[in-house]
Amino acid sequence: MTIEMFEKPLGMRDDFPLIAKQKANLRKQGTQLIERAGYELLQTPTLEYYETIGKISAISDDALFKLLDSQGKTLVLRPDMTSPIARVAASKLLREKMPIRLGYYSNVFRAQKREGGRPAEFEQMGVELIGDDSLYADAEVISLAWDILKELGVGSARIVIGHTRLLELILADFGLDAEQSGKVRELFVAKNGVGVEQLAKELPIAEGKLASFLKLMQATTVADWKRWINEKNEEQRELYRDMERLEGLLGRNGLGDAITFDISFSSHMTYYTGLVFEFYGAGSGFPLGSGGRYDGLMEQFGLQVGATGFGLRVDRLLESVTAEKAEQPHTLILFDEQSEQHAFDKAQQIRNAGNRVTLQYAPAVKALESFTALFTEVIRGEELRNE
Amino acid sequence: MNELTIAMPKGRIFEEAYELLVGAGYDLPKELDDSRKLIVEAPNEKFRFILAKPMDVPTYVEHGVADIGIAGKDVLLEHDRDVHELLDLGISECYIATAGLPDTEMDEVTPRIATKYPAVASHYYRSKGEQVEIIELNGSIELAPLIGLSDRIVDIVSTGRTLKDNGLVEYEKIADITSRLIANPVSYRLKQQRITELVDKLREQVGR
Repeated sequence: MTIEMFEKPLGMRDDFPLIAKQKANLRKQGTQLIERAGYELLQTPTLEYYETIGKISAISDDALFKLLDSQGKTLVLRPDMTSPIARVAASKLLREKMPIRLGYYSNVFRAQKREGGRPAEFEQMGVELIGDDSLYADAEVISLAWDILKELGVGSARIVIGHTRLLELILADFGLDAEQSGKVRELFVAKNGVGVEQLAKELPIAEGKLASFLKLMQATTVADWKRWINEKNEEQRELYRDMERLEGLLGRNGLGDAITFDISFSSHMTYYTGLVFEFYGAGSGFPLGSGGRYDGLMEQFGLQVGATGFGLRVDRLLESVTAEKAEQPHTLILFDEQSEQHAFDKAQQIRNAGNRVTLQYAPAVKALESFTALFTEVIRGEELRNE
Repeated sequence: MNELTIAMPKGRIFEEAYELLVGAGYDLPKELDDSRKLIVEAPNEKFRFILAKPMDVPTYVEHGVADIGIAGKDVLLEHDRDVHELLDLGISECYIATAGLPDTEMDEVTPRIATKYPAVASHYYRSKGEQVEIIELNGSIELAPLIGLSDRIVDIVSTGRTLKDNGLVEYEKIADITSRLIANPVSYRLKQQRITELVDKLREQVGR
């Protein structure tokens, strides 16, 4: 198939002025909150090695854009921001400054196989808090994400929280081995209730416990989780206490009603080893963002520290945020040879007052009516000459 | 903001699902399907039905333009959409199977498979360790072996009547198919209470 001149690669989009402006506003509001919370913004390269970031990122191999450098090494367009930031944080320069708080607003790339509707390049904004394994760190990043969603005006925002390790322990208590537990968690990620019911028949779950197993997907509060906690198991007991404390912390930050604690919630991102969470809002059919604790990822960079963070997808936030309709004043000055100097002076005057002006040589405009319709006010050169 | 948008396939599945919903105690208008309208409201329950092609239901639900939907497992297997599969409704029972002319072997060099379900067929033969060539057709799949287009077909079998009438026999069963209640992941979270209630009520009906 020949490529027509107007075509773009699958999943690539132009941001027309209105969208570009909305994005700029979103970026300004979001990064301001991130900076105010004590995070420093950084940029990482667009290209990374396939061997490092490409493999560690947990993004499936066929979603990576790959290319070769002049030495024949495979490169990828960065598919996420968490792994590059982990790489930066593990570098010598920053090790001494732990815990460190880093924030970003960057585009990431994921190739699309299927039809349209999903971008292959999109912006993400988020933070990583590295070197703090306390619950306060988790509560901090969740609350910060929540503040951003509120500030942007996302309607009926919701957070779902789960705990990968605790789920693992609970499944082990049902008598499942690692492989069976993995299968169950995969079905949980997809919330495939039918699959779970079918699989349960083949699992070695004691008859009396089957009903309780099938209820795993229905929990909505930390108190709901209690029925599955084995008090004799110290790790389970501890993690459960942690969840209770987290619920308390977030409640005090005013997030109480917006959170669903779902013990079956888990992520396909394999580097999340503990707490995991996801954000939703009205207006977008896809999650707005996600995050969690990824101590395991830091280990791959040779660092034994706790790390937690979140990323929000700007393209989906845009669907969720009701666009501001209020038009900013935008003046058009149409000049010709005789009014050129007057027009320049007038434009300077309006701009100095902090307002928007477009200066346009009138004879160059082909369709005057549709062009002037784009502006809130139109000043013609002859009017200026007569002033 | 309590309205629930439900994508439904037209035709037989719609009728069976309609019966299930009414049986579960939902107050739906009497003639929902006989108009040519594509969107039908059930104001008493704050339901809005989108009447769609069966193959398209998971697409609407994945993109969130429908909160929930009713879709055949065959479609879910073929398209691998990002939707939650909440409940087996047990309606429109059938299965996917391979079939061909009786007492034939597949071509050893380039076995050819005609099907409306290329992803399902490809996955099935790959899991058996066989490399096959898939030929995608849109209907009357049974024709393919008869006129020498393929060695086998992969298709839906409900009674086996069509196969028999065309002198074909079934070889292997691939998967059991019924209709499933599916949900958009975001709607599931934002309207969890309404959706769970619907699932529980329908589950009771299905159990009967």
